[in-house]
Amino acid sequence: MKFNTRTILIAALSVLGLSAVLTSCDKTIEEPQRVAYSPADVDAKAGSWKTYILTAPTDVTVAAPASTSSAAYLAELNDLKTKSASLTREQQEAVVYWGAGAVYRWNEIARELAARYNVPPASNADGKYPVPDAANPLADPKFPFANPPYTARALAYLSVAQYDALVATWHYKYAFKRAAPSKTDASVRVALPVSALPTYPSEDAVVATASYTILKAMFPGEGPFLDAKLAEHRESRLWAGMNVPSDLAAGADLGSQVGAKVMARARTDGMSASNNQTVTAAMIEAAKARGLADIWVSQESPARPPMLPNYGAVSLWNFDRATLVKLRPGPAPLPGSDQFKKELAELQAIQKNQTREQARIANFWADGAGSYTPPGHWARTAADAAHEARFSEVRMARTLALVSTALQDAGVCCWETKFYYYTPRPQQFGVKTSVGLPNFPSYTSGHSTFSGAAAAVLSYVFPERTNEFMAKAQEASVSRIYGMIHFRSDCESGLVCGKNIGAYAVSRGKADGSGL
Amino acid sequence: MKRIACLILVALLSLLSAPLRAQMPHDAIYMPRKTVCIAGMYGESTWTDYWEGTLKRENLNIGRHTTRTAAIMPAIGISNRVNLILNLPYVWTSTSAGNLMGQKGFQDLSAWLKLKAFDYKGLSVNPIVGGSIPVGNYVPDFLPMSIGLQARTVTGRLLLNYTHPHTGLYVTTHGSYIWRSTIRIDRDAYQADNRVYNTDEVSVPNAYDAAVRLGVVRRAWQTEVFAERFACVNGDNIRRNDMPFPTNNMQMTQVGWYGKIQPRNIGLNARVAYVTDGLNAGQSTSYMLGLLFQLNGK
Repeated sequence: MKFNTRTILIAALSVLGLSAVLTSCDKTIEEPQRVAYSPADVDAKAGSWKTYILTAPTDVTVAAPASTSSAAYLAELNDLKTKSASLTREQQEAVVYWGAGAVYRWNEIARELAARYNVPPASNADGKYPVPDAANPLADPKFPFANPPYTARALAYLSVAQYDALVATWHYKYAFKRAAPSKTDASVRVALPVSALPTYPSEDAVVATASYTILKAMFPGEGPFLDAKLAEHRESRLWAGMNVPSDLAAGADLGSQVGAKVMARARTDGMSASNNQTVTAAMIEAAKARGLADIWVSQESPARPPMLPNYGAVSLWNFDRATLVKLRPGPAPLPGSDQFKKELAELQAIQKNQTREQARIANFWADGAGSYTPPGHWARTAADAAHEARFSEVRMARTLALVSTALQDAGVCCWETKFYYYTPRPQQFGVKTSVGLPNFPSYTSGHSTFSGAAAAVLSYVFPERTNEFMAKAQEASVSRIYGMIHFRSDCESGLVCGKNIGAYAVSRGKADGSGL
Repeated sequence: MKRIACLILVALLSLLSAPLRAQMPHDAIYMPRKTVCIAGMYGESTWTDYWEGTLKRENLNIGRHTTRTAAIMPAIGISNRVNLILNLPYVWTSTSAGNLMGQKGFQDLSAWLKLKAFDYKGLSVNPIVGGSIPVGNYVPDFLPMSIGLQARTVTGRLLLNYTHPHTGLYVTTHGSYIWRSTIRIDRDAYQADNRVYNTDEVSVPNAYDAAVRLGVVRRAWQTEVFAERFACVNGDNIRRNDMPFPTNNMQMTQVGWYGKIQPRNIGLNARVAYVTDGLNAGQSTSYMLGLLFQLNGK
C-alpha cells in the first residue's frame, strides 16, 4: 500500500492548527453590558399612581429637607465634590454597575439569589427529605428551596415594594423639589446622566433599602452579601456625584418603611402553609372521585413529597378566589382516552427521534434546578425590555410589578389546578426526559401558565413587541413537550389560562392612574 | 463505515510478517515509516458512586451510569520518528434508574503528532502535541448524560521513556497541559462560581494530566500497569444535590492494566482501569477491547 506522506502530514497539521486557532487562550466570558441612560420620560406625575400595599404615599413619612442654600446642605455639597472628584477603578466600576438602574440591578440580584437557592433537598440516610429551615438557612438543605412558586412570590414582593416605594418617592420628590447637586452647583463632577428629577429622597436609596428588606426576608442566609450590595449601591451615588448623604438617608428611611409594610402582607399570605403535605390525601380522593384512576405519583427515588401542594391557597394579587376557580381550565384527557393516547404517542415519537432543534428549545426554556426559574426568565425579559425603552425607575418598577404579580398569580392558579386534578406525568408511562422532571402533577404546565401571563402583560406594556413576546410564550410552552415532561393538553390549556391571568394585571395597569 | 470495512478487508488480505507496533498518544512506541495501524476499539465505563464536590455519594435516580464508546484510531508512521494518531469516537450514555434520556453521537475528532526528539540507549524524549474538535452538535450541559463538553482542545505533552534493550522492561512517564476553549450552550443564562452569568458562553477549565507506566514490551506482546491523574486547573464544585456542569473542577486518579498481543498484522489490545479518587467525577470502572490491523507501505 502507498501512503502519500505529505497529504497525511498536511491533514494532521490542519486538524492541530485548526483546533489551536479555535482554542483561544482568552477565556473571559463576555456578558451583555447594561449602561446608564437618561429616562425617555421622568414620569413627573407618578406620585399619584395607584399603589399595591400603601393606600397613599402619605402612609410613609419623609422629613422636609434642608434648603439648598443652608449651611448644612452646602457642607454636604463640598463633601460630595471631594468624594466624586477622583475615583478608583473599583469605584468607577461600581458607578457603572449601579448606574444601569436601581430597579434593574436589584431585580438581577434577586434572580441570582433564586438561582443559588434553587436546588431540591437531598434525601437523608432514612430515605426522607429534610425540609429547609428558615431559622437555619445555611444548613443542608439550605433555606429556601427557591423553586418556581417560591421565586415567583419573592419577585412579586420585591417588585411591589420597589413600585410602592417609588410612587411614594415621586410624591415627595415633587413636594420638596430639591434639585440635583450638580444643578445647584455646576462644579460637582457627575459620572452619570442627570435628569430633571428632584433628588430628595434618592430613588436609588429607596429601591436599595426596600429591596434589601424583602430579599433579606426571602433569603435569610444572604445577610452579608446583601449588606455589601446595599452599602456599595449607596456609596456609588456619592462617587457618581448624583446624591448628597441627606438624599440617601431620606431614601433609606422611606424604603425601609415601605419594605416593612410589604413584608407584613407577605407574612400573612398563606405561604407558610404552602408545603402542608396533609392536604394531599383529600386532593387525591377528590381527583379519583372525578374519575381519574392513574393519579400523579412521585417518580423520584425515594419518593419525594410533592412541591408545595397547598401553594394554590396563597394570596393572589390581581383577582379574588372566586375568579381563580373560574380561571381553572377544564379537566385533562383521561388516561386511556383516544386523546390521551394520541398525546402520549407524540411524546414517544419525540423520545425516539428528538431533533437537535427540539432539544435546543427544551434546553433554552428548561429553567430547572440551579436556574432563576421561569418567573426569573420572564422578569429578566421584562427588565431588559424596560431598559431598552429607557423607562424611568418608577415606570420600570411598575412594569416589573405588573409582570411579577401576574407571574405569581399564574403560579398560584397553576398549582391550584395541578393539585385539583392531580394528573400523572408522562414518565409514569415510560417516557424519558431530556431536561429533568419536576416533582408535582402534570396538568397544567407551569411554564405555559407563567409564560402566557407574562407575555400578556408585556404585550400591553410594549405593544410593538407583542408578536415577539407571544412567540416566546408559545415556544416556552411547547418546550415542555419537546423535553417530554408534559402532554400537549398540559401546555395548551396552561398557555390559555396564563394569558387570561395576565389580562387581570393588564386591567389593573390600565386603571392605575398612569395613563399608560 | 464502508471505507473502514474496506480497510479491514485489505488488512486481512495483507497478512505480512512485519512486527506489529500498535501505539497510543501516551507511549513511546512508533510506527515505522509508511505503515499504518488501525485500531477499532470498544469500551464501557460505569459508575454508581460519584464525588459531588468532595462528598462521595450514590444517586438512586441514576443508579448505574454507563458510557459506551466505539472508536476508530489510526496511527500513521510519517517517518520512523514522527507519528500521527487520529481518533474518532462514537459515544452512548445510559442509566439503570431514573428518567434521564440517554444521549448518543459522534463526539470529538482528535489528532496527535508524536516526535522522538532524542533517543539514546533506550532512553527517549518525546514531545507530543494534540488537538481535538467536536464533530457532532451534541448538547454539552445535560450532564451526566452528555457525551462530551463541546470544547476544542490543544494538548502539549512531554513523554519520557526508558526501555531496557534486552528485556523490553520499560518505564514511561508523561505530563500534559490541556487548553480547553469556551463553549456555547442552548441557554442564555447559567450559574457557576456561585453567580449567574447572563450569556450562553461557558468557560471550560483548562486541565493537566500525568501518568506513570511500568511494563514489558516484546516483539509480539506488551503488558503494563499504570497510574494516571487528570485534574482541571480551576473550576467550581457541583452544588449540593445539583447536576454537574461544564465549569466543574473535575479531577480523578486511576490505576489500571494495559496489554496487547500482536503476533502478526492482526492483534488485540485491552485495558482495564479503576478510579481510586476524584472530585466532581464518577468513580468509574472501565474496560476497553481493541482489534488492531497493521497496513505496511511498500
